[in-house]
Amino acid sequence: MNRVLIVDDEPHVIRVLNLALSRTGVAVDVAYNGINALEYLQTHQPDAVITDIDMPRMDGKTLCNRICDMYPDREFPIFIMTARAELEHRDWARNIPNLTFMEKPLSIRKLIKALSEHFPANSEH
Amino acid sequence: MKGDRLGLSMILASAIVIFIAFGIQTTHHIKTEVSHLRREAVSLSRSLSRTPYDQLVSHTKGNSVSSILMHGLDNSAFVYVSIVDPYGKPLMELSRPGISIPAVAPKALTSWFEERNLQLDELGDEIIEFNTPLINRGQVVGQIRLGYVKPAFTFNASDIPFFATIALAIFLLTPFFYLVVKREIRPLRKASDQMDKLIAQDTLSRIDISTSGELEEFMRHFSQYVDKALDRVQQLEGELTERETSGKLLSYKRMRIESVIQSLPDAVMVLDETGNVCFANIRFSTLLGVPVKDVMEKRIAEWCANQEMAAYLTDCSRRAGRNVSTNIREFTLGVSPKKDIAVMPCPLFSPRDPSHVLGTLVLIRDVTAQNLAKEGGGAFIAQVAHELKSPLNVISMYCETLQGGGDMTEAFFVEAANVIKDETERMTMLINNTLNLTKIEMGSININRSRVKLKDLLQDAFDTCERSDQAGDLEFKLDLPAEIGPVAVDKELMRIAINNLLTNAVKYSNQGGVISLSAEETDSSVRISVKDTGIGIDSGEVERIFEKFYRSDSSEVRKRVGHGMGLALAREIVQLHQGVLSVTSIPGKGSVFTIEFNKEADLLKLAG
Repeated sequence: MNRVLIVDDEPHVIRVLNLALSRTGVAVDVAYNGINALEYLQTHQPDAVITDIDMPRMDGKTLCNRICDMYPDREFPIFIMTARAELEHRDWARNIPNLTFMEKPLSIRKLIKALSEHFPANSEH
Repeated sequence: MKGDRLGLSMILASAIVIFIAFGIQTTHHIKTEVSHLRREAVSLSRSLSRTPYDQLVSHTKGNSVSSILMHGLDNSAFVYVSIVDPYGKPLMELSRPGISIPAVAPKALTSWFEERNLQLDELGDEIIEFNTPLINRGQVVGQIRLGYVKPAFTFNASDIPFFATIALAIFLLTPFFYLVVKREIRPLRKASDQMDKLIAQDTLSRIDISTSGELEEFMRHFSQYVDKALDRVQQLEGELTERETSGKLLSYKRMRIESVIQSLPDAVMVLDETGNVCFANIRFSTLLGVPVKDVMEKRIAEWCANQEMAAYLTDCSRRAGRNVSTNIREFTLGVSPKKDIAVMPCPLFSPRDPSHVLGTLVLIRDVTAQNLAKEGGGAFIAQVAHELKSPLNVISMYCETLQGGGDMTEAFFVEAANVIKDETERMTMLINNTLNLTKIEMGSININRSRVKLKDLLQDAFDTCERSDQAGDLEFKLDLPAEIGPVAVDKELMRIAINNLLTNAVKYSNQGGVISLSAEETDSSVRISVKDTGIGIDSGEVERIFEKFYRSDSSEVRKRVGHGMGLALAREIVQLHQGVLSVTSIPGKGSVFTIEFNKEADLLKLAG
C-alpha cells in the first residue's frame, strides 16, 4: 500500500484529502506544518508528499528544501499546493527535482491522477 | 551778542571815519601849505632871476637884493636862500640865524623850477628846497636854492570846533544808523530764529515772516527757493519710498521664489552650460545625501556616487537643447535603506532667445514610498486573493468529494454543508472587511457621526454574538453602567469594530471560556472593553496583531479560521473616531481589547 504524507494547516483540506485518498487505497499520514512533517520524515519515508505552501512555523518551500537535504536521491514525488500563481515560485522550483505544483482550488481528481502516475501498481483502486 | 557786535562795529567804523576825516583834513592842510610855499618860492625865484647877477652875488651884507628880500619875507617857514655856481660853490648865502645850509651838490635841473626834500643837520627837520637856474646874459651861471621848512602836522586849536562838529554828527548818526539797520535786519533775525528752530527739529519748511522793501523781495525769492527745495525733497522722498517699496517687493518676490524652490518636495538642481552644478535646493542634500556646498561648481561625476545616474545626467546636460524630450529615469541609491529616485532633466532655454540653452534643470523626486505603495498594493491584492482562495479551495474540495458520490455517510453530507457554510461566511467577512478597510485607507469612507445610544449598540452587538453559531458553550457577560450618555459615533462602523472584537474573543476562546463586554463612562471619555479567557497573545505579537493579514504562527491560532483583517479594520475604525484601540494579554489566560474615545470632543464636533 502506498503511503502519502499530507502537510497542511487547514484541517478541512486534510479531512477531505484524507477521505478521498483513503478511498483510492492510499494510506494517509498527516502533519499540520513543516516541522511536524520533518519529524515524521525522520522516521518514515512516504511514497509521496502533498504539502500546502503557506503554513505557519515552516512553510512548504522550506519543507521541500529540507526534504531535498534529507533525501538527496529522493525518488518519491512532492506535490505542492499553492493559491498563488506558480510563476512566483518558478525560480525556486527549478532546483527541486520531482516537484509538481497543484493550484488551488485543488482538484482532487487531478491530484489522484497525478499520484496514480507515480504509483502505477495501485492505480486500479 | 550779535547786536553788541554790530554796535561795536559801528562805533569802530565811526572812529575810523573820524580818523580818516582828520587825516584827509591834515593832508589837505599840508598840501595847501606846500603849494603856498611853492607859489612863494616861484615868485621869489622870479624876482631873484630878474635881479642883476652882480647885485645878487654882491658880498656886501645888508645892501643886497636878497637881503632886502630876506627881510621882506614874512614867512617863518623860509629858512635860507643860497646862490651857487654850477659846481655847488656858494656865491651868496643867507639863512635864518642858527641854520646852516645843507652842503649838497646842485640838483641836475631839467626844467626851470624843481624841488627836493632835504634834511637839516642841526634840527633834523625836513625841508623843501626849490631850485631855479641862475641865468646871466643867456648863460646858466648857477642855481638859486630856496629852503623852506616842510609843513608838518600841527594841531591848531582853531580846528577843534570843526572836528567836534564832525564827531558829533557821526556819533549822532551812528546810533541812528544802528537802529535803522537793526530795524531792517529784524525780519532776518526772525528768519534766523525760525531756521534755528527748524534745524533743531530737523525739519524743512517755509519760513514765514512779514517784511517790506528789498528784504521782502529777497524773502519772497528765498521762500520760492525753499518751496522748490521742499518740492524736490518731497519728490526725492517719494522716489525713495517708491524705490524702497519696489526694492522690498523685489526682495519679497525673490524670497518667495527662493522659499518656493527651497520648499519644493522635490530636489532641484541646475547645471550650467558646461555641465557644472550652479544651483541646488535644500531638499537636494537630504535626498541625495550630499551637502549643497559639496556639489556647487562641480561636475556631476565628482560627487554622484551612482555612476549610471552621473552618466545619464552628464549625457542630458551635453545634449541639452538638441533633444528636448524629458525622459524620467529611475535610479536606486544606497542599499539599506534603499532609496528610489526619479530623475527628470529639462533644458533651460533663454527667455530672450529660445534657441540658446542656458543649462539643464534637473528635478529629482523620491519615489521610494510610491514604489513601496505600488509593491504594497500588489502584495495586498495578492494576499486578499490568497485569503479568498483558501476558503474557495475547501469549498471546492468538499463539492468535488460530494460530486464524486460513492459511499458517503450522512454525517459527511452534514459536515460538508457546515464547512461550505462556514467557509462562505469566512469569505463574506473577508470581503466585507477588506472593502471597508480599503475604503477607510483610501479616505473614501465618510464617517457619519450621529448621537448614538451606546448602551443599545453594545447590547445589540452582545446579543448577536451570544446567539451566533460559534458561541457554543461559552459564557457571555455584559457589564454596562445603568446609564451611558449619548456619544457621537458612526453607528455602523462602531458596530463593525465591536463585532470584530467580540468575534475574535469567541474565535480564540477555549471551550467553557468567558467573554465579557463592559463599558465605563467618565466625564470626558468612554471606554469599551472586550475580555476573553482564551488563548491570549504572545508579548512579541501584541502590536503585530493589528497589521493587515497578520496571523500568529501558533498552532492554536492557525487551527482557527481567520484572515488577519478584523483587528486591522477595528483599529482603523477606532482611529477614525480619534480613539485608541489597545490590548493587554496574558498568553494562555486571555486578552482584553479596549476601545477608548473622547466623548466630549466627539460631541463638540457633532455640534460644530
